[in-house]
This record gives sequence, structure tokens and C-alpha cells, in this order.
Amino acid sequence: MKRNKSNLDERQEQTLLRIEHNGCWLAYWGLLAVMIIQIILGVDLENLAGEQIVFMLLALYISAGCWKHGIWDRRLKPDLLSNTVISLIAAFITGMLGFIHTAREYPDKIFGSIAVGIVYAIMAFAVGFVLLQFSAQLLKKKQSKLEEELPEDEEE
Amino acid sequence: MRNLKLKFRRIELEMSQTKLAEIVGVTRQTIGLIEAGDYNPSLKLCIAICKALDATLNDLFWEDGENEKK
Repeated sequence: MKRNKSNLDERQEQTLLRIEHNGCWLAYWGLLAVMIIQIILGVDLENLAGEQIVFMLLALYISAGCWKHGIWDRRLKPDLLSNTVISLIAAFITGMLGFIHTAREYPDKIFGSIAVGIVYAIMAFAVGFVLLQFSAQLLKKKQSKLEEELPEDEEE
Repeated sequence: MRNLKLKFRRIELEMSQTKLAEIVGVTRQTIGLIEAGDYNPSLKLCIAICKALDATLNDLFWEDGENEKK
């Protein structure tokens, strides 16, 4: 089916893209916040399946799109330091959530809850760090490939 | 920075913002924002505006040193 011609001019198109961009991040962080709040409130993880699926699809779509175009982030670089810091932040949040969730379920086992939090944090750090490092390597390969596809710079 | 060159050229040709917008295929608001300096048009749109106003990019969009500081 032939697509209708756009009703928007280039400025309106840019404005709409900006609105959609904000909407996308609102949905992304909103979903994350909703999931965190529900975990803190003690909702079973099985009941968060819908949110998790949408969140993961959104994350996968953004990651795949960025990888395809050789983009990492506006401000962060795909280096060891950034990846370590991001993984540590993720580990802290996951650890805290693990602790809170377990402490709510077993209020009399506080040390057990702390141990669960620590295990969650270690696991989140390991998975996050490995994934980030692996993605950084993939991205560097993609960037080299994109560079090769460009026509030769005549001045060089 | 306001684009007075564009505005003056349009007025010189007795052309309204609506008419110019119609010719180049954008909204009147976009032309207004370009003239007010609140929107940077693409090169494609700049060229379309130049053609519509029978002027060059230099005539309408080039800023000399003095204007750039304003």
C-alpha cells in the first residue's frame, strides 16, 4: 500500500521526532520505575511479566538500532571505566532491590536478605560488565565496518 | 539571530509569509520562525527559499562578522 504524503514540513517533522523521542524515554524510565516500585511493594516477579517484556523489547530495539548505526551514547564512551561505573550502579540498584524484596518476604531473616542482596549485586555487576564490554567490542567492529564502507577521502 | 535579509527580500517582492510558505512547501509558522531566527532550516529548504525569492544563499543566509556577534 502506498503511504500517504506527510502533512508535516521539516521543522514540524523535527518537532514531532523530539516529542516521540521524549515519549519513548518517558515510557522506558516509567516502566523501569513502575517495576522497581512493584518489586519494593512485594509484587511477585511473575506478575511483572508484561512490563518486563515491553521493557526488554524497548531496550533491545534501542540497542540494536544504536549498534546498526555505530552509536554508543551521547556522553559516555565504550571504555573500561564507564562500563565499570555503569555496572556498579546497576549492581547497587539490583542488590538493594534484592535485599528489599527478600526482607519483605522474610522479615525475620535480615542477614539472609543482606546475603541475597549481595549475591544479586555481584551477579548484576558480572552480567552487566560482561555485556557492556562485549557490546563495546561489537560496536567497535561495527564502527570499523561502517568506516570501510565509506568512499575514500580524496584528500588523504 | 533574526534573519532580516530574508524578511526584507520577501517584503521587497511583496510576498506574504503564507505565499512563500506555500511555494516552498512548508507552513507559515516555519517561515516565521526562520525569520525570527528560532529555526535553522536545512540546506534543501534554504535553497528552495532562495529560488522562490530569486536570491542566492549568500544574499539571504550568509552572516558577516558584525551580524554574527549580535
